[in-house]
Amino acid sequence: MADIFSTLTVSGYGMRAQTERVRVIAQNIANADTTALKPGENPYTRQQITFKNQLDRAHQEKLVRVDDVSDDTKSEYPVKYMPGHPAADANGYVKMPNVNGLIEAMDMKEATRSYEANLGMFNQTREMMNRTIGLLQ
Amino acid sequence: MTTDIALMKAMSAKMGYLNQRQKVISQNIANADTPNYQPSDLTKLNFSGVLKKVTGSKAVTMETTSPLHMPAPNQIANAKAKEQKMTYEVAPDKNGVILEEQLIKSNEVQMDYALMVNLYKQNNDLMRTALGRR
Repeated sequence: MADIFSTLTVSGYGMRAQTERVRVIAQNIANADTTALKPGENPYTRQQITFKNQLDRAHQEKLVRVDDVSDDTKSEYPVKYMPGHPAADANGYVKMPNVNGLIEAMDMKEATRSYEANLGMFNQTREMMNRTIGLLQ
Repeated sequence: MTTDIALMKAMSAKMGYLNQRQKVISQNIANADTPNYQPSDLTKLNFSGVLKKVTGSKAVTMETTSPLHMPAPNQIANAKAKEQKMTYEVAPDKNGVILEEQLIKSNEVQMDYALMVNLYKQNNDLMRTALGRR
């Protein structure tokens, strides 16, 4: 029976990691237009999440944990011509956040799929438990 | 006790194996987005082999005469989780988990488990009939 409870734990951790990922994506989308307040400053930088595999030695479970939520410094900030903006430089250009709506949308889809897969495992395991308990009837 | 009956023993061994496999599959699915993660699977269980082991034919096994005795390691199904060497697709982050493959596997487990539970039930009914409680 220990294995069956382990399964529930592992799936639970999987769902938690995916939820965290969705949170980061939501944060990116919400801040897709957050510019800097002064010229020369950087606007909102896209956040990205990384996962890692962690072994729970006590129960021998390979859990998934959030490794890090870091700034995406590799992709460039697009610029927009808005001379009246408080953060506009001498030429009238404002740096916009490096959030790409399409990328975030795709990432969100992927997270949802993974979440559903974990939920599926959880439900199946619960079904197995119910079957076992059904033996008593 | 029902656990003294060889077939029952073999069936619970198989159910234990299926629980273990379900755990391994759920680990794979939970880590479907972890970089460098390679999925694992349990080694195949040979049901007749298990039956032979628990019924004690040919092989000499230790007898457990008290519930406090632990069975010898080779007496119960002892499947190992092995990392899959080859998967038919590896993501750019070197993750080899394919959700569809894992879901098919977990469905297999589900079906086998249902079969075992039903068999167990049938056997129980059989015994109840023999005891005249029906």
